[in-house]
Amino acid sequence: MVLPDLVLQICQVLCVLLLAPLLQGFILKAEERVQRSRGPSLIQPYRDLWKLFHKELVLPESASWIFWIAPFVAFTAMLIVPILIPVLTDRPLPLSDMGDMLGGGMVLTLGSFAILLAGLDSGNVYGGIGSSRAVMLGILAEPTLILVLVGISLLAKAMLPFVVNHLLLGSLSVYWSPAHVFLILGFFALLLVETDRLPIHSSTHIEIYMIDEARILEYSGPLLALLKWASMMKQFILYIIFCNVFLLPWGMSQLGTPLGQLGSVVTLLLKFLLVALAVVIVETVQSRLRFYRYQEPLAAGFLFAVLAIVSSQLL
Amino acid sequence: MFLAHVNSLEASIFSSLAILSLLLAFVMLGSHWLRNYVYAFAAESWLIAALSAAVGYFGGYRELYAIAILTALFRGLVLPWLLVRIISHLNVKREMHAVLQPSSSLVVGALLVMFAFVIANYMNHETATAGHVVVLALTIMISLKLLGFLMLSVRNEAISQILGLLVLENGIFLGSQILVPGMPMLIEIVILFDLLIIVACFGMLVRYLVVHAGTTSSRELQRLVG
Repeated sequence: MVLPDLVLQICQVLCVLLLAPLLQGFILKAEERVQRSRGPSLIQPYRDLWKLFHKELVLPESASWIFWIAPFVAFTAMLIVPILIPVLTDRPLPLSDMGDMLGGGMVLTLGSFAILLAGLDSGNVYGGIGSSRAVMLGILAEPTLILVLVGISLLAKAMLPFVVNHLLLGSLSVYWSPAHVFLILGFFALLLVETDRLPIHSSTHIEIYMIDEARILEYSGPLLALLKWASMMKQFILYIIFCNVFLLPWGMSQLGTPLGQLGSVVTLLLKFLLVALAVVIVETVQSRLRFYRYQEPLAAGFLFAVLAIVSSQLL
Repeated sequence: MFLAHVNSLEASIFSSLAILSLLLAFVMLGSHWLRNYVYAFAAESWLIAALSAAVGYFGGYRELYAIAILTALFRGLVLPWLLVRIISHLNVKREMHAVLQPSSSLVVGALLVMFAFVIANYMNHETATAGHVVVLALTIMISLKLLGFLMLSVRNEAISQILGLLVLENGIFLGSQILVPGMPMLIEIVILFDLLIIVACFGMLVRYLVVHAGTTSSRELQRLVG
C-alpha cells in the first residue's frame, strides 16, 4: 500500500515536530555521559515543554505586538522548512516546489530574524546584547552558508535538495570527490554554530556569554515553550539537511509505504546518532572561544566552501 | 608526458594526496602555535613522499622510490626534528603579533587558491582526466607557493618564516613530481641537501639572534647596526 503524497508530506512535518525534542535530549544526555555523570532523561525536553505550556504567561510592560508575534513566526517557519527538504521520502511531495535550497535557507533565517526583533523589542539589556551578538554571528555565518549551498548546487547542477540526494546516491565517485568532502566539512562547521554548540555558544544556559538564551530571556510560559520547540526543530532540520543532503543520503523511503516510512524514521534516528556523537566529541574536547576568535571556525568553513567550489570546477 | 595515459583511479589517488597537502598548508595558516606548523609541515612532506612513490609506481619511474624515501627521511623527519629542537631552545611558543589574524589569513588563503585555480585553468591544454590532474596539480603548486609567500609576509617569528620558505619549496617539489616526473636524481638530492643546509644555517642564525638581539621576531629588528 502506497500512502498518498499529501499524507507523506504531513508525515515529514510531524516527524520534525515530534522528534526534535528527542534529538536535543539525546545530545544533552550523551554530553553528560561522556563526562561520567548520569545526565537528564532522554525525554526531559518533552517534559520541559509540557511544563512550560501549563505555566502562566507574563508579558513585559514595554513589549509590543512584535513580542507576541515572534514565537509564532519562528515556530511556523520551522514547520514550513520540512516541506521543502527530503526528510523521509526522497522525492518531491506536494508543495515542495515552493522553494529551492536558498528559499529554505531564507525561511530558516526568517525565524531567527523574528526572535532577533523580539529580543530588541522589550528594551531589556540582555535582549539587546543577545540580538547584537546573534547578528554578528549571522554576518559571519551567512556567507559560508550561501557558499556551501552554491557549492552543492554547482556539484548537482540544480538548486533542489532532492536532486543532490539522488546524485550522491547514484555515483560513489561524486560522493568521494574532493568537492563533496569539503562541503561536508564546511557544513559541519556551520552546523555547530547554528545549533548553538560549543566552539562559539556556551554549554550552560544562563550565563554572561549567552547568545540565544539572552534573546528569549523575557519570555515565559507557552510563548517560551514555542520558542524552545522552534529552536529544537531548527536543530533537527539542520541535522536532516546535513544527513540527507550532504553526509548520508542512504536509507530513505522511495515508494512511500507505511513500513518504508517507519524504516526511514529509524534510519534517520541512526544517522542522527552518528552526527550527534560527532557533535558531542567536539563539545567535549573544545572549549568556548573568546569573543574575538568567533570568526575562526567560520573562516575555516568559508575556506572549505571556497575550496569545494574550486574543486567542483575540476570535475 | 605520463599524465596523458592516467586512468581515473590514479587520478583520484594523485588528486587526493595533493589536496591533503594543500589542507595541511592551511592548518599552518590557521594556527597560532609554532609546534603545529612543524607537525603540519612534517605531515605534508610524508604526503608528498607518498605522492612521489605513487607516481613512481604508476608511471614506472624506478628512481622516484629513492626520492620518496629521501623525501620522507629528510623533509619528514630530519628537518622537523631540527626545527623542533630550535623551538624547544627558544622561549617563544606561539606567534604573538600577527599582521593578519589566523581567520583573516585563512580567508586570504582561500582567495589565493581561487587565483591559482584561474591561472592553472588558463595554462592547461590537456583534456579529459589528464587535464583535471594537470589543473589540480598546477593549482596546488601555485597556491602552495602563494601560501608560502603569505606566511613569509604576515608572520614575524623567525621559525614561521623558515616554514613559509619550506612550504613554498614543498609546493614546487609537489608540482614537479606530478607534472614532470623523472628529473635527474642528482638535482633532487642537491635540493634536499640545500634545504638541510638552509635549516642548519638558520638554527645558527636563531641562536645568534637570541644572544645579540634578545628576540627572534622580525618586528623587533628595525635598527641597523654598523
